[in-house]
Amino acid sequence: MSRGLAQRMLRRHWRGGELRLLAAALLLAITTVTGISLFVDRLERALVLEASAFLAADRRIEGREAPPEAWEAEAQALGLATARTVGFTSMAFSNLDALLVSVQAVSPTYPLRGALKTASDPLASGAVTTDTPAPGTLWAAPRVLLSLGLKVGATLDLGAVSLRVDRVLTDTPDQGGGFLLAPRVLMALSDVEKTQVLRPGARVEHALLLAGPESSLGVFEAQLPEDFDGRFDLEDVRTGNRSLGRALDRAERFLRLGGLMAVLLASLAVALAAARYAAQQADAVAVMKTLGANSGTIRRLYLGQLFQLGALVTVLALWLAYGVQAALFKLLAAYVPVALPAPGWVPWVLGTLTGWLCLLAFALPPLLELETVTPVRVLRRDLVQASRKGPLYRGLGILALLGLLFAYAGSFELAGWVLLGLGGTSAFFAVLAFVLLRSGRVLGMQAGRAWRLGLAALSRRQGASIVQMLVFGTALMLLLTLTVLRSSLLDSWRAQLPEGAPNHFVLNLDSEERAAFQQALEAEGVASQPAFPMTRGRITAVNGEVPDPKASRAAARLTEERNLSWSGPLPEGNEVVAGQWWEAAGAAPGLSLEADFAENVGLTLGDRVTLEVGDQHFDLPLVALRRVAWDSLRPNFFLLLSPGLLGDRDATYLTSFFLTPERQNALPSLLREFPSVSIIAVDGLIAQLQQIVARVSIAVEVVLFLVLGAGGLVLLASIQSTMDERLREYGLLRALGGSRQRLQGALVVEFATLGVFSGMLAALGAELMIWAMETQLFGLPAQSHGILWLLGPVLGVAVVLILGLLATRKVVSVPPLTVLREHGA
Amino acid sequence: MESNRPVILSAQCLGKRLALGDEQLSILTGIDLEIKVGDSVALVGASGSGKTTLLGLLAGLDTPTEGAVHFAGKPFSSESEDRRAALRAEGIAFVFQNFQLLGALTALENVMIPLELAGREAPEALARSYLERVGLGDRARHTPRQLSGGEQQRVALARAFAAQPKLLFADEPTGNLDRATGQRIADLLFELNAEAKTTLVLVTHDPALAARCDRALRVEAGQLHPEQEPSS
Repeated sequence: MSRGLAQRMLRRHWRGGELRLLAAALLLAITTVTGISLFVDRLERALVLEASAFLAADRRIEGREAPPEAWEAEAQALGLATARTVGFTSMAFSNLDALLVSVQAVSPTYPLRGALKTASDPLASGAVTTDTPAPGTLWAAPRVLLSLGLKVGATLDLGAVSLRVDRVLTDTPDQGGGFLLAPRVLMALSDVEKTQVLRPGARVEHALLLAGPESSLGVFEAQLPEDFDGRFDLEDVRTGNRSLGRALDRAERFLRLGGLMAVLLASLAVALAAARYAAQQADAVAVMKTLGANSGTIRRLYLGQLFQLGALVTVLALWLAYGVQAALFKLLAAYVPVALPAPGWVPWVLGTLTGWLCLLAFALPPLLELETVTPVRVLRRDLVQASRKGPLYRGLGILALLGLLFAYAGSFELAGWVLLGLGGTSAFFAVLAFVLLRSGRVLGMQAGRAWRLGLAALSRRQGASIVQMLVFGTALMLLLTLTVLRSSLLDSWRAQLPEGAPNHFVLNLDSEERAAFQQALEAEGVASQPAFPMTRGRITAVNGEVPDPKASRAAARLTEERNLSWSGPLPEGNEVVAGQWWEAAGAAPGLSLEADFAENVGLTLGDRVTLEVGDQHFDLPLVALRRVAWDSLRPNFFLLLSPGLLGDRDATYLTSFFLTPERQNALPSLLREFPSVSIIAVDGLIAQLQQIVARVSIAVEVVLFLVLGAGGLVLLASIQSTMDERLREYGLLRALGGSRQRLQGALVVEFATLGVFSGMLAALGAELMIWAMETQLFGLPAQSHGILWLLGPVLGVAVVLILGLLATRKVVSVPPLTVLREHGA
Repeated sequence: MESNRPVILSAQCLGKRLALGDEQLSILTGIDLEIKVGDSVALVGASGSGKTTLLGLLAGLDTPTEGAVHFAGKPFSSESEDRRAALRAEGIAFVFQNFQLLGALTALENVMIPLELAGREAPEALARSYLERVGLGDRARHTPRQLSGGEQQRVALARAFAAQPKLLFADEPTGNLDRATGQRIADLLFELNAEAKTTLVLVTHDPALAARCDRALRVEAGQLHPEQEPSS
């Protein structure tokens, strides 16, 4: 019988409005989680796909030896696309002249992600091509042709082989952040043997490129042998390109955080709505028990209702989530040119699971407590039995919440900070709310009648008022936190790529050319940036010991030839994390390394490093480790020296400049005038980064919008929870002669006071939470947000007042007799 | 003939005390009572005399601190709450002062509840016939909110009698109604009671209503006194 009755009651309660808030909260919880997950999932797939272009693949296995054939076969068996490249530097000879070039020999499937662009003239702009150089031919960067005075169709000798210059190579996807001193030449992999360049000891970088579904890549990675790390490097988008990696990481953290807060708020709304529904049902349960229903029947009845509601809402929410997400992408269609991969199954499961966990942890306990309602309630309504299981259910609810938090945050750190913020501020809020209520009442004593009435109502329901302030305050705090984090996140991204940031880098400028080049730039109306001296050098020994580059990858990396520079002041974007910078008082001159690099190659502060520059050796102490802002597109160096240590060596200079798209035609004449100089354009890279940031920003806005919705529901639920009491009180006051106007005034005072206090609590909590998140999670500089103290109370009053008055309009509009009859005194 | 009828409800030394801090507040003491099948008994008394508490104990809605209640010869008050609920489902019905209809359900659905709880066959047809019997056949789809006080109490009467109970408890059934409506509800109550030959326990402070019962008992300061023997 109880299923039929459950269905009937569900239908009636739905129509009567009792269940709508619960259903709305649940709907929002599932829709938000599924929607955000679907959106993030698909957006991330699209972004990774796009970002993979920087690697020319999804994964890149790199080493001094060729990755084994067996791995490639294995990858192909898993359905992955593969390509191979071999990179080396070599002299290229024309009939008259020679030039050092950076050769990339590629298999026909290269690139797996992104595209090559070629042209037929060194000064023309390139068009996308799907070909690779045919055997016997090569494609050369414009500078090769300009420096050697060649045209397409000429012949170049590379080692023992002669290759015809077939096209001009204007763009390769994987030139990324690394600066190549020598201009690029692309040739067929099958021609590499013939060059006879790959003799033992030659500095050659072999790479196996992989692309395909993330799951297959995972399987492949799991099968890699144990000695892999010693011999090869595995790069993905994140490790392969630091600026992009950081941007993606932060975006993902933010979206997760937003989702997390939406889930928290929605759970809160579900809990409040369910508690109110249960309270409303206590009388009905007493009647049914009187009529002979036992606790089992009651349990089945309400579980039945809950499960039916849950099932209906789940179906609706999943459908809605798909719609929302599809609509969003439709809206974004212009910005997301990449064909969107279909969403995986994870978001659906995650959304459904979250919804049901929410339902079971927060809606079930108050409904289960209904079975303990005593039937005497039909005779004496004031009789409320304390539930024995209450604390147990609440404990289970909190445990479930913790589980949700950790599952959804995907990081203990993130969940921990949110928890700490919530827990700490709630306790503090409760005390503060009490004090605020007290002071409000004292103020009210000296105020007009509506004021006194409104404030009296607040302090009469002191317990409920404190809870409401906590709930409002918490919801507002989460909203403020997210809003501020969003803008500081966007600001920090924009700051990485400021308008007018240098988008061209100039390498190989010698000291005599430096002034002339600067003048040439100025003649074109382009401002030049400071120049860094640069030379090539190699670490040959540490503390007198000579490492064997063949022994380990770390040793190979340590002894690799690198660009190094020297500078008196600490360059912008660098931060000393250990040791002392030489310009500090009492500090010694020496060598400074990038901190991660030092850790990777096993160097520590105080080591004596022998540096080989040209044919000279320098013994230098390691005096400082630096953290470098890789996400800024500035020249950065692993190795920095204090000035003067290398004597008056001839250095080349590295500088940069910003060229607007309209002035691009200045490039060819510069290249002609300074043929030995390399100019690397990173405007494409910057544009791509900016595009990605723009897209991620939209995702961030969407998440904020969803969280706002959840916050609104929580406010509504918490006002609804005191609705019956309010109706009774104001009904009585109206029956006793209180005018509608005065009662309306009292309500305004009550909600406005609640709003101001909640807003102040929220501002305080948000300030703390933002500080923690900015400094601990997002690696942003700490700053005070004065606007919070204005935004919090104003937003608090506006939202609480509007929602409060809307929700309680019944209080002053329903005739007092009806109110008293239905809600009893 | 009176002695042939079996006892359906009895109370022995029934008492109820409430703990108020350190003190014990005695609400009912030493109640002895026997009600036979087909009896109609009125419990009268002033407000706060304990008559509603007594009704709660007799109906198994609450448990006594002393003494016992037996229903149909079986211990009642010492049973678990769920067992008492099952016994109520089998044979006890109620009419309350404030009607106690479920606001979310229609008149018809309200009448169906006890039938469904007792697992009766075709509850809807049975419920409908009782609604017609109380003159509300055309209001079956209305919710309590759409019904007047008198109409709500008729639905409550239909709900009580549709369950075909052995024992009916009525707590001030006309207390929330105006005089004329109250009169009509009282008439209907006694009419249905006579048809079904249900045992009736009626709590009221209205002497006229009490007079329509076979006998009346006065609850005064927590104790039970015989009131009068009605002549009819």
